[in-house]
Amino acid sequence: MQVFKAMMKIMRKRLPSAMIYIIVFVVISILVTNASTKDNKFEVTKLNICVFDEDDTPESRALTEFIGKTNDIDEIENDRDAIIDALYYKRVNYALIINKGYAEKLAAGDTADLFGSYHIDENYSVVYIGQFLDEYTTSVKAYLAMGKTVDEAISCTEKALSQHTDVDMLRVDKGGNSHYSVDFAGYFQYMPYILIAAVFIVICQVLVTMNKKDIRYRTNCSCMNSSKYTTQLILGSGLFVVSVWLLLIIIGAVLNKEMYAGRAWYAVLNSFIFSLVVTAMAVFVASFEPKENVLNIITQVLSIGMSFLCGIFIPMEVLSDKVLSVARFLPAYWYVKANNMIADIEPFSRGDVLLCFIVEAGFVLMLIMLTLLVRKVKYSGAAIANTAKKAAVSH
Amino acid sequence: MNTVVKIKDLVKRYGDLIALDHLNLEIEQGEIFGLLGPNGSGKTTTINCLLSLLSFDKGDIEIFGKEMTPVSYDIKKDIGVIMQNVAVFDELTVYENIDYFCGLYINDKEKRKQCVDDAIKFVGLEDFRKFYPKKLSGGLLRRLNIACGIAHKPKLIILDEPTVAVDPQSRNRILEGIQELNKNGATVIYTSHYMEEVEQICTRISIMDKGKKVAEGTKDELKRMIKNTETIIIEILELPDKAYSEIASLPHVYDSRFENGKLSVYCSGGKHNLTRVLDVLQKNELGFGRVYTELPTLNDVFLEITGTALRDKED
Repeated sequence: MQVFKAMMKIMRKRLPSAMIYIIVFVVISILVTNASTKDNKFEVTKLNICVFDEDDTPESRALTEFIGKTNDIDEIENDRDAIIDALYYKRVNYALIINKGYAEKLAAGDTADLFGSYHIDENYSVVYIGQFLDEYTTSVKAYLAMGKTVDEAISCTEKALSQHTDVDMLRVDKGGNSHYSVDFAGYFQYMPYILIAAVFIVICQVLVTMNKKDIRYRTNCSCMNSSKYTTQLILGSGLFVVSVWLLLIIIGAVLNKEMYAGRAWYAVLNSFIFSLVVTAMAVFVASFEPKENVLNIITQVLSIGMSFLCGIFIPMEVLSDKVLSVARFLPAYWYVKANNMIADIEPFSRGDVLLCFIVEAGFVLMLIMLTLLVRKVKYSGAAIANTAKKAAVSH
Repeated sequence: MNTVVKIKDLVKRYGDLIALDHLNLEIEQGEIFGLLGPNGSGKTTTINCLLSLLSFDKGDIEIFGKEMTPVSYDIKKDIGVIMQNVAVFDELTVYENIDYFCGLYINDKEKRKQCVDDAIKFVGLEDFRKFYPKKLSGGLLRRLNIACGIAHKPKLIILDEPTVAVDPQSRNRILEGIQELNKNGATVIYTSHYMEEVEQICTRISIMDKGKKVAEGTKDELKRMIKNTETIIIEILELPDKAYSEIASLPHVYDSRFENGKLSVYCSGGKHNLTRVLDVLQKNELGFGRVYTELPTLNDVFLEITGTALRDKED
């Protein structure tokens, strides 16, 4: 197991880079999970309002008092600049002026020009206060029309407007099922990016090192059986990929706070097949023995390129048909498609999910065949013959 | 003596180009066998065919009396290869590197540990066991390269131009090491285009050119193949035609040249050639400066056999 051991030692040197990707991924997943949980909560918010009562009547004071029950009343100097400063620096959301003659107009059922206001823009706070005042004055007017006195009308209005409605936030999911929520599906959706980055950074680099021309030459001269050598390389690569995959699966279960069940197992299987695809891709790229900086570029192009084209970073439903028709030729497309079906984002069909798995497996087979072809050309006697021929021709 | 390597009628073609043309070689046990030739003469192709890294069109190769094939692992276990380029892992320490390459031959952990320790001691890297290759100087790196090739104590060691781009001090150390390995019982095949090195360490030499063996023998045997046995060089300001003619007509002198105040007298065999040349100069009352003689080199051998200097061919 000499080759396997050497591989592990070389891998250890590359591991920190891969771990950075995994840690960043996990941190982002935790943040996303927490952020999405907050969407289910509803809180009544209070606005900061300052009221300038120019009428100063019992009716206007009653209104100010009533506003203060559901909002915070702030006191600001009645100066235009001071008010604008307070609004600009968001110390208050709204500055309300109860115009002189408010009580008289209200008693007469006239609701025009009762109020003035200062506000920065037409945001939801402004609209909310506007609606509230409109509702208040309309109600008072209605009660007055019913023959009630001004005091009775104000009292009835306040009573009516004090009615609260309990609010429950219900999230409208685009899909998801009891065993595989949309949040969980999101975690699996981003997994290909991390798998590609982590596996390429480690496996590609290690294989390139192990297959360096001079080292390969020395190995070929040794009594190490070539099939034994290849077996140990496969074993080493496999161990790393399975470890990364397993780590991501365990982290997924921890973040989801429950063990995989039901349809979630499809997602586990999907990610496993995709990790095989990534391994085959890494081995294929490594067979060209790219230099480290070239390999970094390839890693970024593949991971980010596939992520954008195949619906990892951008949901598939947002992508144009043209982009999707190109993405079909990439394995990540079939991974995301299967993931969407498993999460009920697209209609679930076991047959279609299996078809996606088969297509992914097809990519593995194709990449293995291409790798064998490249290796045959590069590592057979032909490569050495080429070098020797060049020397002979130059002579 | 046992024949360790036997190459019979080896032919290697690249289309119309013949890289090896009916090459025959026999290398005996305990020899340091030098393969000398300019770049592209077929040395490395011969080594690649020998190691079954390259298929060939015709001929037979036997090592330790057995036919060599790509899967002759029982033969390969007794062969050590040291190439021109340093083939080590940058990610492994000196010890780990030697242990890795030794492990390709020896599975037994204890035995391997001993072999690795011996190899480290042999190349003098005891103080650098835990160093990574990037921290080693060029000379130390070459020593590591050699240690990786010989740690498993091979019976046949093939060195393919191991001293290219190596400083003189490290080169001497490498050459001494090869001689020591040979004394310890290993048969060595040494390819190089540096004649001085081959002259210094090889017990038998084969000169190759255009894929053919053009001469073979010990250093002395090769030198005896050519006319020149001694070149006398005398620094002299002027040489009258009369004196020059007298020198040229001396016994055993087959050629002479007078250029840039330097008289070169080429002798073929015989004794007291220098005394006779100096007698002529004294008789003609000619003063002279430095006097020295040069024995024929392998370059002279190569020059005479192929008509071209080995050094010229490298360029």
